[in-house]
Amino acid sequence: MTPVAVRSRRSVLLGAAAASALSRLPAARAAEAFSFGLTPLFLDNDIELLSMVERYLTRRLERPVALVKRRTYHEISAMLLSGQLDAAWICDDPYVQYQDKLALLAVPLYRNKPLYQSYVIVNESSNAQSFDDIRGTVHAFSDPDSTSGYLVTRWMLALRQTTPAHFFRDSFFTYGHRNVIRAVGAGLAQSGSIDGYVWEVMIDREPELVRRTRIVFKSEWLGFPPIVAPMVIRDVPVVKALAAALLDMPTDALGREILSVLALDGFTTGTPDMYESTKKKWLIVKAQV
Amino acid sequence: MPRLLRLPAWPLTLKVPLLVAALMIAVAVMISQIVLSRLVKDQETNLTLLANAYLDGLSAAVLPAVIRGDVWETFDALDRARGQYSGVKARYALVELPNGSVLAASDPANFPIHSAVPTELRSKFLKEDGLVINDEVGRAWLTRGLRTEGFSVGRILTEIDIASLLRVRSQVVLTLILANGGLALAFSLIGYFAVKHMLQPLGVLAGYVERVREGRVEPIPERYRKKVASEFGQLFDRFNAMARALSDRETLASHLAEQEKYAMLGRLASGMAHEVNNPLGGMMNAIDTLQSHSEDPEVLSKSLDFLKRGLAGIRNVVRAALVTYKGGSDTSLLTPTDLDDLPFLVQHETGVRRLRLNWRNHVTEPLAIDGPTVRQITLNLLLNACAASPFGGEVAVDASSTDGALRIAVSDEGPGLPDNVAALLSSAGQIAAPSRDSKGLGLWTTGNLIQRLNGVAAIERSDAGTRIVVTLPISSEGARHAA
Repeated sequence: MTPVAVRSRRSVLLGAAAASALSRLPAARAAEAFSFGLTPLFLDNDIELLSMVERYLTRRLERPVALVKRRTYHEISAMLLSGQLDAAWICDDPYVQYQDKLALLAVPLYRNKPLYQSYVIVNESSNAQSFDDIRGTVHAFSDPDSTSGYLVTRWMLALRQTTPAHFFRDSFFTYGHRNVIRAVGAGLAQSGSIDGYVWEVMIDREPELVRRTRIVFKSEWLGFPPIVAPMVIRDVPVVKALAAALLDMPTDALGREILSVLALDGFTTGTPDMYESTKKKWLIVKAQV
Repeated sequence: MPRLLRLPAWPLTLKVPLLVAALMIAVAVMISQIVLSRLVKDQETNLTLLANAYLDGLSAAVLPAVIRGDVWETFDALDRARGQYSGVKARYALVELPNGSVLAASDPANFPIHSAVPTELRSKFLKEDGLVINDEVGRAWLTRGLRTEGFSVGRILTEIDIASLLRVRSQVVLTLILANGGLALAFSLIGYFAVKHMLQPLGVLAGYVERVREGRVEPIPERYRKKVASEFGQLFDRFNAMARALSDRETLASHLAEQEKYAMLGRLASGMAHEVNNPLGGMMNAIDTLQSHSEDPEVLSKSLDFLKRGLAGIRNVVRAALVTYKGGSDTSLLTPTDLDDLPFLVQHETGVRRLRLNWRNHVTEPLAIDGPTVRQITLNLLLNACAASPFGGEVAVDASSTDGALRIAVSDEGPGLPDNVAALLSSAGQIAAPSRDSKGLGLWTTGNLIQRLNGVAAIERSDAGTRIVVTLPISSEGARHAA
């Protein structure tokens, strides 16, 4: 999912003394820009959306905001954990991996709930009707750090005592949920793992592309990818201001416009226990590896 | 062979436009070949340039992904390249790994990842970098190797649809055919009318030549002379000069023939007088006998019979002379009688020279030919034969009609005609008339009469004498009319 982070020029070293960390806070140097990290979602090319987010946050935080994009989730996670970003919209998988080091700032509300599902899709011409029918296909994953685009499918295989290398004829990563739809729709892969929220939003925005795919499996409801900040700076005013800006988004005209583009209803505070299910899956997969 | 099937017999008004059209078509074909050849070359050059630009971009885009073996990135690059190069209509593009398998293709349904590139497909591509064009199927196959640090990491194979190029070629061919065909047709029509106009004086000339053939010699009027080009003007002048000479000669020949006829009459008159006089003595005796012995029925009968035969002989001679020299016979017909009374005209000649006349006339029905002229020809030849024959010899005349021709053979036992005299008969049209005092005027006149009837004369000489055979065509229309 798409993380947003605020970056200071100097890294915030996780695990360092709070005082040391606080001394480097962006809030202490109002002139410095906040770095807000984003991982590729369906909006990976939506320059206008990025501009709106930047304008909204700059106004609310009263300082420049720099939006940072990288090709993979891992890059954003690493930058966040190494202090290169001050906040980020990350996937729930990296969140549960580093739950003790990351503080929840806000969780998006999709259809008024902070939840989403993982889908397994196939090409429209496929005869597959269930998850087990995709055995032997070429499978497109989204990202190794994506819950919906990798972890859930990996967990399903772990339950079956198998791995992608054995279950699928072949598999590859596309590093984007939209790319999974393209790969499956074009026939490059016969099946794919994808964020259900992305698939549902894209069916309205790119129906020709999405209709070439069909859902054969929907996971249970999982905690929506959150907006997080390093634990050590969670109480810094600017970080709190970021959380407030996100929570207040439905009350602001530009904020509502952003929510409309994202097809979200707003943000909620969220709690770590919302991600228990994701965490269990990660642990099971981790145990198998 | 029918006349129209023989090329030399075709009219110039047809041949010249056809020649123009043929030349135009030849030039058009040659120009079209040059244009098409140049077009094909240019198209191939442009296609090669476009293809290279396409492959340059594509190979730069896919190379990092190919090095990593990244299926998605490779597909993404190939997929995005579609539509980015408007000059190159790629049907598919794929990246083949060194082991012959597909890393990714723009058309993954037909070329699944990690499947082997079909052998039949691979055979269409060059082993090294380059372009293969197949005009028949409207496709081109491009190959571009992917190399890094001197090592081959795969190659791009792509099939290009060149139907649009071929369509342009077809349009150019169609345009060339229409333009050149139209030009050839236009020039042919212009050629036809121009040549027809230029050859109009020939038609005038032909018309006047035809009149000559029909016996009417007329010069071409001056009004035509002014309208034509100088070449035809000179031709008209020469024709008119020839027409005048021909007219003069015809007049002279006609005059001489008339004179000859009357000269012959003079010669015959004395013979005829003799023939008339001969029976007169006997007839006077018969009258004396009748006066003396009129009561004797036998003497009366014999005397009257004698008188009748004598008078019949005189009548025959007189009638023949009248027919010959007064005319009155139908000039379009020859009746058997026109020939049969000729012996009466020559009986004096034969009698004086004690000649035997072997007369055989096989003509039994009227023939469509100028009777008086045939009669004069035959009489002239017969008199000539009588004059040439030795005393007590035989003169034979044989007339017959076969295969649309009248054949008259006159033979004598004379020593034969000298060549120069014989030429007067057989080539009268090309030889000037002999002087009135010299011999041969009769034969020259006869030769002219034979030529007027489009006939020919053949002279056969043998130890036994001379035989002149005249063959005269009979008009088929006239024959039907006569019949």
